[in-house]
Amino acid sequence: MDYNIKKFESLDSASAKAKELAANGAEPWTVVLAEKQEGGYGRKGNAWYSPEGGLYFSVILPKSNIDDLQILTILAAFCVAKAIKEDYGAEPFVKLPNDVYLNGKKVCGILTENIISGEVKSSVIGIGVNTNIDYFPADLNTASSLKKELGKTIDNKQFLEQIIVQLQNTFKAISQ
Amino acid sequence: MKFKFNNQGKDYEVEIAGQVEGVKITVNGKDFLFNDLEVAQVAAVPQTMIPKRDLSSKEVRAVLAGSISELSVKPGDIVKLGQKLLTLSAMKMENEILAECDGMVKEVKIAKDQKVKEGDILITMA
Repeated sequence: MDYNIKKFESLDSASAKAKELAANGAEPWTVVLAEKQEGGYGRKGNAWYSPEGGLYFSVILPKSNIDDLQILTILAAFCVAKAIKEDYGAEPFVKLPNDVYLNGKKVCGILTENIISGEVKSSVIGIGVNTNIDYFPADLNTASSLKKELGKTIDNKQFLEQIIVQLQNTFKAISQ
Repeated sequence: MKFKFNNQGKDYEVEIAGQVEGVKITVNGKDFLFNDLEVAQVAAVPQTMIPKRDLSSKEVRAVLAGSISELSVKPGDIVKLGQKLLTLSAMKMENEILAECDGMVKEVKIAKDQKVKEGDILITMA
């Protein structure tokens, strides 16, 4: 499966942009990538700290039934964890349904949003990975970054492509 | 008497015939009966009619069990097709429920953070 990455220097929210593009007919597997987000959010509208250095992207998913979307949401956390483990030899912990921890600190959050008007019109999965973030505000004392925990800089582009391929393989497996 | 005419690009074939009960006018095969007191359509619904507007209430139901994480409308609000009505947190996902048609919010049967079951009526539209 192909994918199409649309990169933005800054967005209010990669997921909001992806939903807007989906509403205007963007193809599935369009990936909206933001170098930073001014208004990143997670479940129930909780803010997601998104400074430059992190990896923030949202993927327009193919039309699917709601059960498959839920499974994909859960498995997306495993995709990210697998990439961390395979690339950096670390032992991440998946806190179900959609958070990834490393050394007891949260390094990734995932949120799937469905647009429903009688039926599922579009779905977007948003993934925020704290890759190369050096500093977190004091109130985010449970958050950390891969760079801080692993002591090395992460190649965001390579990491992104690896996660997307894993997502596509997972999606293919559950939708068959 | 039979005649044809064209109105705004559409052809009409009309036949007018006097009958005991009044005057029968046939337009493109559809009969209309006129008498002194009333006009009665004999045939079925004519093809050229104003699209019927459904004035009955419409219910917006929960497509999933979950909780209401955001309520975007209140009774009396006029909404457009595709406008966000509410967000339902369900199955670890956020589900934006949009209006399926233009209309007015008649009744909001749920509150923010309320848990709902699949099939529950959330909003009625007029």
